[in-house]
Amino acid sequence: MTEKMRESLSALMDDEANELELQRVLSQIGDSEELRQTWVRYNATRAAIGGQSVAHLNIDISHRVSAALKGDSSAAERDKQGLSERLLRPLAGFAVAASVAATVVFGGQQLAQLGAAGGQPAISIAASGPSPVGLVNIQGATPVYASHGVQSVPVLEPAAHQAYQRLANQRMQMYLQEHAEHAALNSPHGLIPFARVSKIRE
Amino acid sequence: MTFSGSPGGIFPRLLTLLIGVIVSLTAASSWAVSCPGADQEALAWLDKMSRSVHEVSYNGVVTFQRGNEDMQVIQVSHSVEGGTSSEQMTQLTGQGAQVVRVDHPLHCIHPGHKLLRVGADLNTGDCGIASHYRFSVADGERVAGRTAVRIQIKPLDMYRYGYIMDLDRNTGLLLKTQTVHPGQKRVLEKFQFADLSYTGRVPNGAEVNLVHEAQHPHPDQPAAPRRDVNDWTVGWVPAGFAATDSQSTSIGRKTYTDGLAVFSVFIEELGRGIRPGEGVARQGSTISYTRGMNLTGQPVLVTVVGEVPINTARMVADSVNWLRANAD
Repeated sequence: MTEKMRESLSALMDDEANELELQRVLSQIGDSEELRQTWVRYNATRAAIGGQSVAHLNIDISHRVSAALKGDSSAAERDKQGLSERLLRPLAGFAVAASVAATVVFGGQQLAQLGAAGGQPAISIAASGPSPVGLVNIQGATPVYASHGVQSVPVLEPAAHQAYQRLANQRMQMYLQEHAEHAALNSPHGLIPFARVSKIRE
Repeated sequence: MTFSGSPGGIFPRLLTLLIGVIVSLTAASSWAVSCPGADQEALAWLDKMSRSVHEVSYNGVVTFQRGNEDMQVIQVSHSVEGGTSSEQMTQLTGQGAQVVRVDHPLHCIHPGHKLLRVGADLNTGDCGIASHYRFSVADGERVAGRTAVRIQIKPLDMYRYGYIMDLDRNTGLLLKTQTVHPGQKRVLEKFQFADLSYTGRVPNGAEVNLVHEAQHPHPDQPAAPRRDVNDWTVGWVPAGFAATDSQSTSIGRKTYTDGLAVFSVFIEELGRGIRPGEGVARQGSTISYTRGMNLTGQPVLVTVVGEVPINTARMVADSVNWLRANAD
């Protein structure tokens, strides 16, 4: 994965991507397993940061994708217009647009694969099953299993999620002073970075 | 360029004007091409700031605030004598610890401060820190009774935070720093002098519970040989970040700075397998991002601690690998 792609992914995650970056991700996410994995991993982290329980992160693409599959071009058109409208809005609104776009891509590919394999209609997989991490429930409606085909995605279980947050906290206590030694010499604040250390050791 | 006022006909004057325009346009465009948006005044202040923090003697009281925590109050002093500086900070609240650094040679300039001194390099086309932040100058607030000049610092990519820095208009000393999350426009952390003196005696009434002597890691002084972990490498850091010290690949920490932000990467080899995953802790502008993974069969825990956005930490942790694997 190129650095440009990583930047675009990261921008999407930070809700700071522009249209060009979104297009870049969308055009390549279908071909790159690494890209998909990274996206899922990034989302897992964001979910963890937001304190969301990963198990509750579901995805609802049903009306969009099923509309597309049924050839309901008018619904698809409406969605397209909605997306581009949101794209034109500045950062805050863009978060939603980016999530929707990525969601649709994931879902769309999966449906295409499933369709090729079993010819099932979209609606039949609209069941509440284990959900991949990080995909946002846009509509609050039926959760759809949307992992990428048969690819397994790393799912952070709640227990592991809490364990990792504890680890991150412990590591902060462990390492912050050693970090401050360097920050004190390499940022314009003199010794003040030591104020960030919650318990200074001798 | 001056114009002669003599009535020598309109043509020579036009010619002079034309040449003047061409010369100034050429100068402007070469400047624009080499370092677009570089604000020389702001960069000059930055340069002055990085020097004053070493070369000026001062003492005072600094407040430190982040999130919903109680305000910390810290006494600081810095004195310069005979080519070396000595400094200390004493916590007046909380733990009551003191950190001291003595006999720091003035000629000892660490990488972070070198990065803030870009002045001359700009003309050679090396924009340095000006290619990663946009700097601008404004009138500052009054801080600790001093008139300040304000430097607004906005990151040009998503890998760093923004800053608002108020410097003493006379000495260039950094009086107040606000670390700003550029997306959320939120102040994550704030340092500020409440009281400052360039001449007064250092008060010494504070009860000190613990004294820590600050270390002195430096690129020119190789650390004592020690071996924590197998040889490892950080494959990616954002443009503009440089290592803060000489980095042995067998020590479990690497630290990077772009002059304003600093982050450290730590690796631990684990004795047994770990369920891959990630966790984040935050305090003010400091994050701790911990990631458990398998690096070619060896379970490791990689932690990025520093004053950078989470995505930066995540991407840096993503790029950690064994040196031998990288050589393949």
